[in-house]
Amino acid sequence: MADSCKPTMIANNGVMDHEFRLAENDTDFGERIEYLKRSGYVLLCLFCREDYATRDLFRLTYIFESQENRHIYEMEYGTSCNAVSIAELFPTASLYEREITDGFGIPFSGSFDTRRLILHAAYPKDFHPLKKSFRNGPVNVREYVPEEELYKFRRLEGKGVYEVAVGPVHAGVIEPGHFRFSVIGEAIFNLETRLYYLHRGIEKLAEGKKPAECLKIAESISGDESVANSVCFCLAAEKIAGIRPSLRAETLRGIALEMERICSLLSDCAGMLTDVAYPVGASRFMALKEECMRMNKKLFGHRFIRGYITIGGVSADIGSTDLLLLESFADRIGESVKEAYDSAVTSSSVIDRLATTGIVRQSLIRPLNLTGPVARSSGGRRDVRTDYPYGIYNHHTPEIPSHDTGDVLSRFMQKAEEIQASARFIKSITGEMPAGEIKTSGTDIHDGCAFAMVEGARGQNLHYLEIRDGKIWRYKVRTASFTNWLSIEHAVIGNIVPDFPVINKSLNLSYAGNDL
Amino acid sequence: MKGFFGKLIQKPLTERIEVTDSDFERYGSMLKAEINSVFKRSIAIREVDCGSDNAAEIEINNLSSPYYDIERFGVTFVASPRHADVLFVTGAVTHNMRYALKKTYDATPSPKFVVAIGDEACTGGIFKDSYAICGPVSSVVQVDLEIPGNPPEPVEMIKGLLTLMKKAKTD
Repeated sequence: MADSCKPTMIANNGVMDHEFRLAENDTDFGERIEYLKRSGYVLLCLFCREDYATRDLFRLTYIFESQENRHIYEMEYGTSCNAVSIAELFPTASLYEREITDGFGIPFSGSFDTRRLILHAAYPKDFHPLKKSFRNGPVNVREYVPEEELYKFRRLEGKGVYEVAVGPVHAGVIEPGHFRFSVIGEAIFNLETRLYYLHRGIEKLAEGKKPAECLKIAESISGDESVANSVCFCLAAEKIAGIRPSLRAETLRGIALEMERICSLLSDCAGMLTDVAYPVGASRFMALKEECMRMNKKLFGHRFIRGYITIGGVSADIGSTDLLLLESFADRIGESVKEAYDSAVTSSSVIDRLATTGIVRQSLIRPLNLTGPVARSSGGRRDVRTDYPYGIYNHHTPEIPSHDTGDVLSRFMQKAEEIQASARFIKSITGEMPAGEIKTSGTDIHDGCAFAMVEGARGQNLHYLEIRDGKIWRYKVRTASFTNWLSIEHAVIGNIVPDFPVINKSLNLSYAGNDL
Repeated sequence: MKGFFGKLIQKPLTERIEVTDSDFERYGSMLKAEINSVFKRSIAIREVDCGSDNAAEIEINNLSSPYYDIERFGVTFVASPRHADVLFVTGAVTHNMRYALKKTYDATPSPKFVVAIGDEACTGGIFKDSYAICGPVSSVVQVDLEIPGNPPEPVEMIKGLLTLMKKAKTD
């Protein structure tokens, strides 16, 4: 192994450092990728950006992680027109590569899947919105799409095989997506998901804006992840600007992050019980969630805590009376969740539907880079809050529960336990509320680029921000949903179609957060 | 046997949740009266997400939570547009969803009402200038009522429905 292949430590102690390693000539590119694969690295993200200085060069950034040593390895590859696919070694790269081909028009040689991903058939051919030459604005889409240009699903044929097509408009109050099941008898033996119906062009929309203007966009990535995404965006912007929020601001952010996690997980638990026709249990979780949202409105001024996180800190303080209120509220939530949980898991009909349903095997965690409660209920142990602590998590370490069986039941237990852990965490940080400013007054935003990672309710969110001339040049978002979505195609195999809703709910993947 | 009779005389297992939202209750009973006079008992709503970030969907789902329980005022959410009187449309309509929205609209029997929910659905909101959207809901289908908000809270949605029923009465 050549010395140049050795990974560089670029993330340490919370704040992600970045170091660009240029590989203009691709002679050792393949060698490096193979080395990373052999050494058990996981692909965290792959994205492209146009070079600011030369403008005619595309830079592909590969972010790998070694999970044993908890370090991040970043590799860059410059190209003017084409690239080499690494999907044979890192299968999840296929999605990133398709995304880049759509956005920038760069083909990947050796790729096993070249279908369009984010741009559906209505978009014209040779339309690549992330190129700088394209100025954001209305596009003439096609009314008529020729037959041969329609999306080609993988076709599975054989005796007794039939297809069930679901979506994009589903039967419930839920986001749009399309599922194509191949079924024999009752058992699903293949599922292909097709998403991006909610593609709103978030990354392009951020370009050319000042960082503060982009906060609203970060909040709109996914409905119940407003805080996680805006904190992640702010961490990247603050790193570029060299701002460090005060400990009080970090604590307030911590409260907001954990309140958001509690809301989201309560809704998951309610959803799982609804989907197995146990409304008595579901109602208790739903009622608790409403109480949490009302608490959010009281503390932060918005039910989804929007407009609260700002670059340098937060927009409003919480008074001491409200803090006391929050403490007792956290206690009550913890107790009520335990009661609601006990009532659900002592119902044999609930256990019957949840146990052994929709298993996500532990062996999938690394190849697919599964994160969040989905990975932690299948024997995973990762959590950005403890792996790469940021903000308040540098000072307080949350409890991270985990489970092993990987079925819907273990995800239900995992989520119920995470709610209680978050409630205890809120209580412990509000008990030691430090004094100080809530917002560090901003120095000018410098040019530069930075990564940040945040553990949202669904898992690891990664934001990359590049600022040139005080404006955003490139904003790349990779949410936990983007990687976790792949788990559903594995989890449903061998299950029956009527169990799909509960499997889907237990994974709780965001469509908007994936489609961007 | 004893267990069976014991169950008959025991207290209900459900607990009473104290509803504190007096506004919601007030608008709810007004809505119930309007629905009774216009639709003779109940209205059915089909929800279509055309580009929302899911926050509006969360609030719409909350309408069915124990705190609001909108069904007692005669409002039900249905699984198919063919069963619906009203379409709740959220989000600025993405190009990728435009065709599905049109088909859903066409599948809804007339007379039908379309309600645009949230800032993006009403005006395009922050996505107004994006290449990926074709515009607010009104650029694709005819909209009867707009409920702005980021996202609108449950009480704003019930107020909106009340306005819609009054509108339906006069139309």
